[in-house]
Amino acid sequence: MEELKTNTPTVPTARRSGDAILLSLKGEIDLHNSPAVRTLFLDLLKTYNPKRFVLNLTDVPYMDSSAIAVLVEALQKLRKTGGKIYLTNLQPRVRGLLEIARLDSIFVLVKDEDEALQEPK
Amino acid sequence: MSSHQIEVRIDSDPANLAAVRKAVESFAANTGALDEPCCGNVGLCLNEILANVIRHAYNNRTDKPIHVRAEVADDLLTVEIRDWGNGIDPTTVPQAPYDPLTPGGVGLICIRELMDEVTYHPQSDGMLTRMTKRRPKSQ
Repeated sequence: MEELKTNTPTVPTARRSGDAILLSLKGEIDLHNSPAVRTLFLDLLKTYNPKRFVLNLTDVPYMDSSAIAVLVEALQKLRKTGGKIYLTNLQPRVRGLLEIARLDSIFVLVKDEDEALQEPK
Repeated sequence: MSSHQIEVRIDSDPANLAAVRKAVESFAANTGALDEPCCGNVGLCLNEILANVIRHAYNNRTDKPIHVRAEVADDLLTVEIRDWGNGIDPTTVPQAPYDPLTPGGVGLICIRELMDEVTYHPQSDGMLTRMTKRRPKSQ
């Protein structure tokens, strides 16, 4: 497992394992900090071209539509090469927002990071 | 009839979004007007309206004024957002049909689905946005 630099406190840890990038996000994500998350996501996708983008949202109690837009943009890019976004440990408000936006079915919701890594390609 | 209100004045800096959202959520919760999930939904919709003001009405300027006033009267929460931006009513701007696989549009869905009513009142020098949420009868 290779540790990656992130340069934003909203994503304190990033790791690479095979064709997967695993990220832990932290804190509330809104228009204030979502641009930095977007920059990081696009950099990681361009640099590593992963097939699995695994986001641990245990420590994200809230996100707004600007954060959702970042996730969807990343998913758009991943889908072009057959990749997926996996979300783990959704907190109630984040899950509620995904449901309202009818996005809970386009991301792969998994119990933990191991489940994402074990999913068939 | 009982009435409570709060007013918050900020600059149009996204760094201020969380504080305003939390202030209004706490205000709504403390008055007992709405349950916790409803207060959270009000906060989310306020966040979305403020973000639209910053991005569109103020074209991402971070030094422009925004006033937020929230009031509870009986079972009705009203939140007003006053800006001095371009005064364009967002409902008059053509929108592409919502596509979950294309970024954008989620904020408007939240506002439409989570609030009872959101109305836009153009001013001579900006916009007054008013959103309301009434306590569900089951509460």
